[in-house]
Amino acid sequence: MAQFSLDRRSLLLGAAAIGALASLSACTGDQGRSPNGGGSATSDGSGPRTTLVVGATAEPDTLDIANNAKAAVPQLLLYNVLETLVKIDSEGTLKPLLASAWSLSDDRLTYSFTLRNNIRFSSGAEVTAEAVVQSLEHHRASAANAADLEVVEAVETPEPGVVQLTLSRPSNFLLYNLAGRAGTILDPESLSSIATEPKGSGAYTVGAWQRGSSIELPRNENYWGNQPKFGTVTFRYFPDPQALTSAMLAGDIDIISDVTAPESLPQFSDTETYTVIEGTTNGEVVLGFNHSSEPLKNLKVRQAINHAIDRQGLIDTVWAGKGTLIGSMVPPTDPWFEDLSQTYPYDPAVATQLLSESGVTNITLRLRVPALPYAPSAARVVASQLKEVGITVQVEELDFTTWIEQVYTQANYDMTIVAHVEPRDLVNWANPQYYWRYDNPEFQALVVEADEAPEAEMVDKLKQAGKVLADDAVADFLFLFPNLVVCKADLSGVNVNATTLSFDVTTIASRNG
Amino acid sequence: MMRRASLVVGAVLVGLVLMVSLVGLVWTPYDPARVVPGDRLLSPSATHWLGTDAFGIDILSRIMAGARSVLLVGVFAVGIAALVGVPLGIVAGMNSGWLGRVVVRATDVLYAFPAVLLAILFAGALGSSTTTAMLAIGIATIPVFTRIARAGVLQVMSQDFITASRVSGIGWLRIAWRHVLPNIAPLIGVQASVSFALAILAEAALSYLGLATPPEVPTWGRMLYDAQRHLLNDPHLAIAPAVAIAGAVLGFNLLGDGLRDLLDPRLKEVAE
Amino acid sequence: MPRVVLGRLLTLVLSLAGASVLIFLVVQALPGDLAQVMLGERATPAQIEALRERLGLNRPWVVRYLDWVGDMVRGDLGTSALSGLRVTDLVAGPIRVTGWLVLWSTLGSILVALPLGMWSALRRRHWDGFAVNALSQFGMAVPAFLAGILLVLVVAVRWGWLPANGYVPLARDPGEWARHLVLPVVSLVLVQGALLVRYVRSAFVEVLTEDHITTARSVGWTKLAALWRHGMRQAGLSLVTVLGLQVASLFVGAIVVENVFVLPGLGSMVLRAVVQRDFIVVQSVVMLLVVAVLVVNTVVDLLQAVLDPRIRAKEQR
Repeated sequence: MAQFSLDRRSLLLGAAAIGALASLSACTGDQGRSPNGGGSATSDGSGPRTTLVVGATAEPDTLDIANNAKAAVPQLLLYNVLETLVKIDSEGTLKPLLASAWSLSDDRLTYSFTLRNNIRFSSGAEVTAEAVVQSLEHHRASAANAADLEVVEAVETPEPGVVQLTLSRPSNFLLYNLAGRAGTILDPESLSSIATEPKGSGAYTVGAWQRGSSIELPRNENYWGNQPKFGTVTFRYFPDPQALTSAMLAGDIDIISDVTAPESLPQFSDTETYTVIEGTTNGEVVLGFNHSSEPLKNLKVRQAINHAIDRQGLIDTVWAGKGTLIGSMVPPTDPWFEDLSQTYPYDPAVATQLLSESGVTNITLRLRVPALPYAPSAARVVASQLKEVGITVQVEELDFTTWIEQVYTQANYDMTIVAHVEPRDLVNWANPQYYWRYDNPEFQALVVEADEAPEAEMVDKLKQAGKVLADDAVADFLFLFPNLVVCKADLSGVNVNATTLSFDVTTIASRNG
Repeated sequence: MMRRASLVVGAVLVGLVLMVSLVGLVWTPYDPARVVPGDRLLSPSATHWLGTDAFGIDILSRIMAGARSVLLVGVFAVGIAALVGVPLGIVAGMNSGWLGRVVVRATDVLYAFPAVLLAILFAGALGSSTTTAMLAIGIATIPVFTRIARAGVLQVMSQDFITASRVSGIGWLRIAWRHVLPNIAPLIGVQASVSFALAILAEAALSYLGLATPPEVPTWGRMLYDAQRHLLNDPHLAIAPAVAIAGAVLGFNLLGDGLRDLLDPRLKEVAE
Repeated sequence: MPRVVLGRLLTLVLSLAGASVLIFLVVQALPGDLAQVMLGERATPAQIEALRERLGLNRPWVVRYLDWVGDMVRGDLGTSALSGLRVTDLVAGPIRVTGWLVLWSTLGSILVALPLGMWSALRRRHWDGFAVNALSQFGMAVPAFLAGILLVLVVAVRWGWLPANGYVPLARDPGEWARHLVLPVVSLVLVQGALLVRYVRSAFVEVLTEDHITTARSVGWTKLAALWRHGMRQAGLSLVTVLGLQVASLFVGAIVVENVFVLPGLGSMVLRAVVQRDFIVVQSVVMLLVVAVLVVNTVVDLLQAVLDPRIRAKEQR
């Protein structure tokens, strides 16, 4: 598995996926509310807004961004509490954050970052190059982030205010990784309490955490940038989508960061009160095939399944018609996106034909899915439609932890459904050990070439890679999660697209502020 | 008269559930598992009497097919509880030595584990399924049957014919089978009916908590859980399973009440 | 008498020991690995193994069991591997949430059930008594979570009178604390109260048909006065017994209601800990609940032994 530097075990799965669906949306809380958001729906606009209550679905287990891979951690901390050298904006472009400038050497093996002057952690201590080195070294040795920094050979500070990264080989993806969880810069003082009280240089700090309910982010009084717009931002967690919708309708919260009950969107159609934002995410919902499962080794069987499933019907049924058809592992916000959604149009007759050509008969497949809002419903549609073409599907719902163990780690399954929410996660197909067990040297070569090539060629290589996945029917790429955010109408600045795992509240402002 | 009403209404409701599940076994208006995206969320009409759900499945068909799952849950849960609980109760009632005491105490310990707690643990350990839910409900109900059976046995044991049998040297197993069991059977029957109602409710609660994921044909509890996301826009999805659950629970409760009143002379009201 | 107490206490200790083994074994059977959960999908097998070692997950289960029990005896519920916090600190908040919920809904149920149950017993041959009885039957047939969700949709969403869900600690804002508890308590009372009405009713019906009430009535007391004087105590006793028995089932109701109203109570804590495979937390919190139920049972037992001469005599034989 060390053969490609790209075959990191980085995927992001379902639970995480859901957490990550959040992009930025902004909404406001009413003044005079308790920080927990209690209050009736009638207290709108009675004064300037000082608090923001964000409703989300997945609560972090711990705040250790280095060792816990769940997307709920960066959703809360990334950009809000912990900042990075560079940042990815809503359009997917890299912007300076802690670094004011950066450069790449001609051999594309050395990055130099120049830190901003006068940047401070929330403790008041200066963000020095040494502190940056210390954080990056911490991530390089961590469980969740080491893979993202695999190409980094050394992190040094050749002169004050400059951080230099030496790579073992050129990598186009590294800068993007540095803009995510693996590039978060922590106050060296707080590395020992990273699981409960991580401290960074962001506009907000970690305050009271009522487990099972909410986490408060009070404003960072020492913030180096523009004054944060809210006194306190509270993330409230709702495991139950209906409870989240109710809380929004009752006026208890200001934003739904990731709508997991899209059926409820018509309730928010009053534009005087609410703003509904629809953008894209990096979350591909994949009907994954286990390529070591006998019937699924057959290309015609895989193609037949792709033809047998009415993906638009599935989106309508499972996600209230919100979502994009993709056809491969590439979201439309990536420069190498190509519309491959019509590679296998819905046609049961063709599916039946392909099945009889394949020579495989009496197919029975175990579809083992995690119990997340979308997967069991999608599984019912898949099972019903495959039955129409003569494939028997046994659906099993597993709790997410069991799913990780049985499906993800042991590859004990035939098919599964999960959302892969990380950016640029098509590289996972280059890892033959990955739970799909897909081993295609041609694809693997393309991905390595893409990462090492000059940027212009990279796009072309990745386009080819995406095409290979579609042609080989490696999976059924069901749809791309929409970024659905609902917020109160006085809020603005919510990111339309979820291009990172962060729910960035720093861009949000209120008319009533 | 009202006692009679309980019995009659209860019997009718339970009979209705039984009938629906039997008919559902051989015939439903539509295929209860076939997803039809084009027909989703239709309101009740002549073609779909109760409308369709988010998958475009006819709700009446799902209710009919689901009745069987509901009955299965009840039968298995109550069956486990009665088959284990009643013999334990008989042992506890007939044996006044250490064995009886151990059984009583063990029952108390088990009683301290509510069904939901067991279901949470079982679902984690065995995977969440309707089978796990049935198992959890059944095991959690064992103490109820043990207690009822023991109380009944204690009453029976004090009667003369038992003492006579004992004196004449008949083995305790035979006494239990011949004399005790028939005498406590009505009591068990009443409890079974009430426990059946509780099992249906418990299954619905476990479905809601995501601890009882569906077999091929989902139970009403699962239907209700699926419907809650649509409560605001399409309340008709929730009405049918809610009414079905309430009706079945009411039926089994009333049947149990009616039977109890019929069998328990103490509760016969004094004529005024 | 001391022998009775001693005997009961010994039984309690043995029961607790039995329960602890049961809990430990079930928890050990949970599939999935805490180390894997903590480190996530991206960790290497070596990292996971190292964490397992550090957490002591590789020790034989007997050692782990004895460790856990030994700590508990000393009042230490262990340390959550996931958060690094002590379980005693972690449960402090949830215990209060569930405690308030159970306390208020028990009081509420009694307040609702006592008069209604008496009424329906007194008027059992009239339409209104029958109506109360029928109503309680319907109350028992409605799933608690459905009642809760409908309450939220009507009272919080449609009318905007109360918050839809969530919890504010009492110390932080008593007003908000109360507002957040109203709907959860009401939905528990609806279900729990319906059940209690039926117990109260049958207790009073039984009392009403007994001789001394008939006697009292024949010497000119009104039915209500007779019931009040003679019936209350007897019915009260059976009510207490029923409430004692309901400790366990109240928790069941609470766990569902906690879920509907997103309350950070013990129920949701256990649910979460199982999903996270935070074994110590699951074991200790479940044990805590079981201890509570068993201790209540023992106290009720002892009270009965003290109050009821027949039992006392039997025990001493």
